Amino acid sequence: MTGKTKLKTALTGYAFILPTFIFLIWFMYYPVYQALIGAFTDWDGFNAPHYIGLDNFVRLVGDEVLRQSTINALIWVVLSIVLAVVPPFLVAELIFHLRRERAQYVYRTLFVVPIVIPGIVTILLWRFLYQGDGAINQLLKLIGLDSLQQLWLGDPNIALYSIILMGFPWISAFNLLIFYSGLQSISSEVLEAARLEGATGWKRVWRIDIPSSYPQLRLIVILTLIGSLQNIIPPLIMTNGGPGYSTYVPILHMYNVSTVNGEFGYGMSIALVMFVIILLLTLINMKLIKSES
Amino acid sequence: MVTNNGVRSSAALAALVLLLSACGGNNATGGNSASPAPASSGAASGTEGSAAGAAGNWTGTITMYAQSYTPNAKNIAGLKQQTALQDVADEYEAAHPGIKIEFVDEEFKDYTQTVRVKAAAGELFDVFWGQWADLNNTFPKGIAEDLTPYFNQPNPYIPGKATWGEAMNATVVSETKSPDGKSYNINGDYVATAFFYNKDLFAQAGISAPPGSWAELIETTKKLKDAGITAMSQAPDYDWFQRHFLSDFYAGEFEQIAGYDQSPGVSSLDQSVAIDKGLLNTSDERFMGWWPLFKQLTDNWKQDYLSSDPGVVGSNARNDFLAGKTAIFYDGSWLPENAKDANVNFELGSFNFPVLTQSDTPYTTGTDVSGAVGGPNAAFQFAVATKQADSTMKEEGKQAAVIDWLQFVGTPANVERIVNEHGTFVPTWPDTKPAESMTELANQASNELKALGVGGSSPNMTKNMQRIFGLYLSGNIDLAKATSEVQKELDAAIKEYQSKNSVDLGTY
Repeated sequence: MTGKTKLKTALTGYAFILPTFIFLIWFMYYPVYQALIGAFTDWDGFNAPHYIGLDNFVRLVGDEVLRQSTINALIWVVLSIVLAVVPPFLVAELIFHLRRERAQYVYRTLFVVPIVIPGIVTILLWRFLYQGDGAINQLLKLIGLDSLQQLWLGDPNIALYSIILMGFPWISAFNLLIFYSGLQSISSEVLEAARLEGATGWKRVWRIDIPSSYPQLRLIVILTLIGSLQNIIPPLIMTNGGPGYSTYVPILHMYNVSTVNGEFGYGMSIALVMFVIILLLTLINMKLIKSES
Repeated sequence: MVTNNGVRSSAALAALVLLLSACGGNNATGGNSASPAPASSGAASGTEGSAAGAAGNWTGTITMYAQSYTPNAKNIAGLKQQTALQDVADEYEAAHPGIKIEFVDEEFKDYTQTVRVKAAAGELFDVFWGQWADLNNTFPKGIAEDLTPYFNQPNPYIPGKATWGEAMNATVVSETKSPDGKSYNINGDYVATAFFYNKDLFAQAGISAPPGSWAELIETTKKLKDAGITAMSQAPDYDWFQRHFLSDFYAGEFEQIAGYDQSPGVSSLDQSVAIDKGLLNTSDERFMGWWPLFKQLTDNWKQDYLSSDPGVVGSNARNDFLAGKTAIFYDGSWLPENAKDANVNFELGSFNFPVLTQSDTPYTTGTDVSGAVGGPNAAFQFAVATKQADSTMKEEGKQAAVIDWLQFVGTPANVERIVNEHGTFVPTWPDTKPAESMTELANQASNELKALGVGGSSPNMTKNMQRIFGLYLSGNIDLAKATSEVQKELDAAIKEYQSKNSVDLGTY
């Protein structure tokens, strides 16, 4: 192949991927650049922005609401990770240990089918369940546990946990399938050897299954961490951050200062900080996975 | 896969950032520049019907979002079929061949955000529903035309009035001006608020008449509670109730507070100065003095919604009332219409916020403040988009035509006709009469508009105050903590006000 032909082939290739790059730059990199610039302005979403230096970031450091939001977000992240890992892993184990493949298929399907329900429906459903006269309190009354009745979304001491814990029994179909596929990838020789060595039941889970599932575990932990930091819909719809600021999270703060206050510049500074944090976590994730592979 | 997901996650945030930043693509540069009024807009004044106004030779479509007055609405929930505004438009179109009035038949879940986004894109409606407080404080500056010059000139469709402003409610115009003395909307109606009650549940609890005083109101809720009936269950709106109590407690200082800006009515500047001077702030014991009094009432309510955001639980609470689950509901004058739509199976009654007495609280001045909440905040509140917010306004002659259409709609006869057809608001302009269904609540509109409150200094102030209010009423924080939190909000709000408006409050 001559140099000219090589160049032509290369240019054809670049021409094919050019539209993708244009969209990538326009919709992903340019907005990040805009936000980077906007974070240093007082832009109100309409009028020309004015450069205000680091004022937004200084304000951000002293913002009590953001501080409370960050604490809430940390609680949210930790609990979300536990819920994203433990129940799906246990169910994956149970399904994996079923003898009949047909039964495994049926249970897998049953756990995955609810994925078709839109998330917003689930949130609205749980809002009703959590009402003062909702199903949860009625159920508690029915079984004689009246004393446990709560204002699930109205009490600032428990509202955050109510939102985090909605979705019982917390079997994420996506996570379940990832753990299940991880268990499937354990070679039959290893399992057979473990059985001969007496590693059965919980001993096998602790010694073989969990160590073999580390790559899946890491993936789910990182995705949950990122997802829970970005998760604005549940607190927005269920409580709008209340009572008080008990269910406020940074991304909701960013949304409200931008759309309610019209302080898009300040909102961008929050977004920028969150972007940097999430980018760092993503890089850590990529590094961990790379070292694992 | 991991890498892709990680990148996707970053991309999701970038997309969110895009949402924020993409709006910057059409930044306006001259935010506050309102176009001058046409020099001879009133040239044809004096002859009703024969005047073509100042529409000029422009032809095309004028878009208008009329909120509750949208005629023939198909997409706005809870809006009855009404034709008055369409009739007015038909008359205008007949007199101005080539001009078409098109009403926006859409329901906006977050109207503030809709206005922001449309204005940033230069696609705002030519005439849009905008309440004065939003136009003065919440929306970005420069999205609405300053209508003051037009108010000071004749309206060709109102014979016998030297200026358009003379046909309007002068107090409303004064009270709704921006800090720099501009009027951004025509304001033709008034919303009343009241305690609505379920007469059947009252009878069930042995209560024969609605309460006429604060003590009776508390007694009534207690009787209902004792009878096993939920007396009230809603998220009490801080902004509404503060106006009742503060308008009463500070009635003696009303003129002083309203006069800081040298203009009648309490503007956001007046509020900010009063906060700064320690009058409308926690150093004056009256400012928080009504919280414990109000808590006496809410202690008899069902606690479910007390600490919630009214915007989140408001419709649930209203539905509970309409379903007969609660006995009393404090709401606007639209509620009877809602009840009719819901085919409620109980008899509905209403009573006003009572006049307080010294035995209720030592801070009262005994003023009737039943009309302090509603006020000129209903739906006949129309603003005109600027050229920056609506690029079609750059067409030669369009702005004059849009203003002319606004002048056509904005006559006492049309205000009365449009407002009364809807039936849940009260027309406020001189020479207008309320609909028969509103006469009971219309007496609130005849009271002097001497409403006081805070909230105008910062767009998020009321929402933040609501959070503190809810925590206090639900018993999660005490009055001392609430007072300290409230003062922080007040300080932050006036700091923001000074910074945004380049005002030094110390000079007042």
